[in-house]
Amino acid sequence: MSKLYLQTHTVSDAHPTDIFSLAVTPTHLLSASGSSSIKVHDSNSEVPAQTLEKAHALGCHHVCASKDGKVAASAGFGGEVKLWVSDGDGEAAWVEKGSILEPAKAGEQWALALNENGQYLACTTHDGRINVYDTATISDSTASKIARFETKGVFALCVDLSPDSPCTMTASGHQNGTIFIFSNTTQRLVHALTGLIKPVRSVKFSPACKYLAAAGDARIIALYDTQSGEQVANLTGHASWVMSLDWNWSGEYLLSGCYDGKAKVWSLERRECVATQTESDKCLWAVKWLPLVKGARSEMFVTAGAGKTLSFYREATGS
Amino acid sequence: MEDDDFDDLLAGVEFAHDSSRESLTSAATDLFAFSDGYDPMPSATSGEFSVIADPRRSMYSEEQAAVCFSPRHYSNCDEVNDERPYRRHAPLLEKIEEIFDQMAADLTNERPELVITLKSKPTSSSEAAKEGADQRTQKFRRICFPGKSAEEAWRFTVIIRILQLIHEALSKDTVISKRDIYYRDPALFGNQTHVNRYIDAIALTFSTPRSSLNIAAVAKGLITGAALFTRRNGSTLNVASTAEGEGTLVLNLQDILCVNLDRVKWILVVEKEASFRSIASSASFSAKLAEQGILITGKGYPDIATRALLHFLATPSPRNGFRAPPVYGLVDYDPDGLAILSTYKDGSIALAHESEALRVPSIRWLGVRAEHIGREGGGLHSDQGLLGLTPRDRRKAIKMLERAREGEEKCEMRQALQGMLMLNLKAELQLLDAQAGGMVELLEAGLSGEE
Repeated sequence: MSKLYLQTHTVSDAHPTDIFSLAVTPTHLLSASGSSSIKVHDSNSEVPAQTLEKAHALGCHHVCASKDGKVAASAGFGGEVKLWVSDGDGEAAWVEKGSILEPAKAGEQWALALNENGQYLACTTHDGRINVYDTATISDSTASKIARFETKGVFALCVDLSPDSPCTMTASGHQNGTIFIFSNTTQRLVHALTGLIKPVRSVKFSPACKYLAAAGDARIIALYDTQSGEQVANLTGHASWVMSLDWNWSGEYLLSGCYDGKAKVWSLERRECVATQTESDKCLWAVKWLPLVKGARSEMFVTAGAGKTLSFYREATGS
Repeated sequence: MEDDDFDDLLAGVEFAHDSSRESLTSAATDLFAFSDGYDPMPSATSGEFSVIADPRRSMYSEEQAAVCFSPRHYSNCDEVNDERPYRRHAPLLEKIEEIFDQMAADLTNERPELVITLKSKPTSSSEAAKEGADQRTQKFRRICFPGKSAEEAWRFTVIIRILQLIHEALSKDTVISKRDIYYRDPALFGNQTHVNRYIDAIALTFSTPRSSLNIAAVAKGLITGAALFTRRNGSTLNVASTAEGEGTLVLNLQDILCVNLDRVKWILVVEKEASFRSIASSASFSAKLAEQGILITGKGYPDIATRALLHFLATPSPRNGFRAPPVYGLVDYDPDGLAILSTYKDGSIALAHESEALRVPSIRWLGVRAEHIGREGGGLHSDQGLLGLTPRDRRKAIKMLERAREGEEKCEMRQALQGMLMLNLKAELQLLDAQAGGMVELLEAGLSGEE
């Protein structure tokens, strides 16, 4: 049985250029693009609630936020990472708290992930390292690393931090198709997974940390058991590169965005695609579920990419 | 060659110490030969008219240093007075001679050092634009002899030697190529790059296009298609009539009187010679090309001759029948490909002072674009030919982004670079050849819009 999603509204030309990344908080949606500013949207209004002007002069390729909506981080094409804080209530008032600039020869900083309460920030570099920072220590000029995972020098295109319980792990997906899973407590490599062969563009831990979903240019979505490291499922159906993945809150559904502009929703129970949305043929750089609003009967998700538009979808309910 | 990846113009060059002294001596000897028995070639040939000039004067005699220009010439060219080489080049010759006069004076007065001041190129296009408005912000660099280090002495020698060769070329009114200059003293120059850099620096210092120093790059570009050139000597050249798929070496703009573009509907610029040949010889496209198009390649970063010719073809003027056919660029999907496209479009940074007459701002980016890769249809094999960006590629792309930042955020170049960095992939033009009909399809789709 497939599910039906309806487009509820769009914000067209949300940014003047490609939207590369999205982050959600309980109250807001943050979008980052090739332009220098980051925009903060209310879930319903078409006008941004806040614009972080000139956040990244050369454009911003990654943005992420903690689940509680108090900490966000963004990475720019110039190689710099900025940390933003907000009081977390409905008023969008993000302010810059500090930045991290690695020495030039270490390579630019690329993908980002924050843990649930925003205490830890994982950041990949072009030369294949994954640095984990304590966000409390990030200020104008300094930041202390609490962990530093070395890989084989291959560019890490994506990174994720697992939920804080039952276990804390870091996963990274690399240009050569390798996926590494590290334990944050022992700071050791737990699994090195090589099945995808082609660039891995998204890795995401399921909410209960049982699975790691990974996908990229191999055009399949692989599910790995985080404990054993075994591949437990292959979700096939995308005709082009998979750019972005996101689990819904319960871990029942996985959302994916593809280079050919298609978004798909996959049922974990059935291990198959239950809905496909085709909005345009332009690359979807980012797809995200929105947090479940109290009292709402259905979940929503948002897609964004080369079309420069934010498109919101809601599941069509029975009647 | 126009790759603007060069670091500081004058820093960090390897050089040939051993030859410095010897070459300086020989350069100096040559110069004093000028002053002693200066006996310029009495006649020079330029195009169809010949001119006899006798700019007989001593560079180093105090009495005549003040004399600006008093050539006695016996000329038979009533109709083209202004074309007399010596007069045409007089301002530049004077500038060069001024430098040597100054040095002669310094030597006579037993000053401890000889000094040459060069302008440095600005580091970005936007800076260059600003400097155009305000000359006072130009950066200057002093190079002394004997100087602080052997390297500085070498630099000084190189500059003197090049100035001397330029002086020679100007006073004889012959055009020499960069390669000629290098071969005049390979032991001194070490390699061609040094020569190119210092020539550009000298042109910048004199605020003049390189061509007016009578220096040409060796033409490396190729052209073919439906254009009919008329040379200054009256002969015509049909660039399509050469051997199939071969192309003609790009013509020197100074030799062209006019061009007939009546049949031309588009101009296609390709990055690589291989693609040039495969397009020009393709069964389905060569006929179309001979009827309605022009195909040009600069073989990588284009030289000035190629860019000048493209500018000439694409900019309406009496000499091309006031035509402005649309220009399309076909380059690799990588930072160098985009940099090459931008060299055609906006000029190179190394030659920012003379880009105006070389730019083709209307050039459109036909491919390879992100849309052409990663598509369904080819299955897994369509990803073949894609490579990850190297660290050098990424650094280059970020540098280019930095330069583009003050431009519009929506500018195509900026978006293309960002998309490339996100994908972390590059693709060569040959990728299109690998797909059945890939190249022809792309060309027909891209070029048909203009018919």
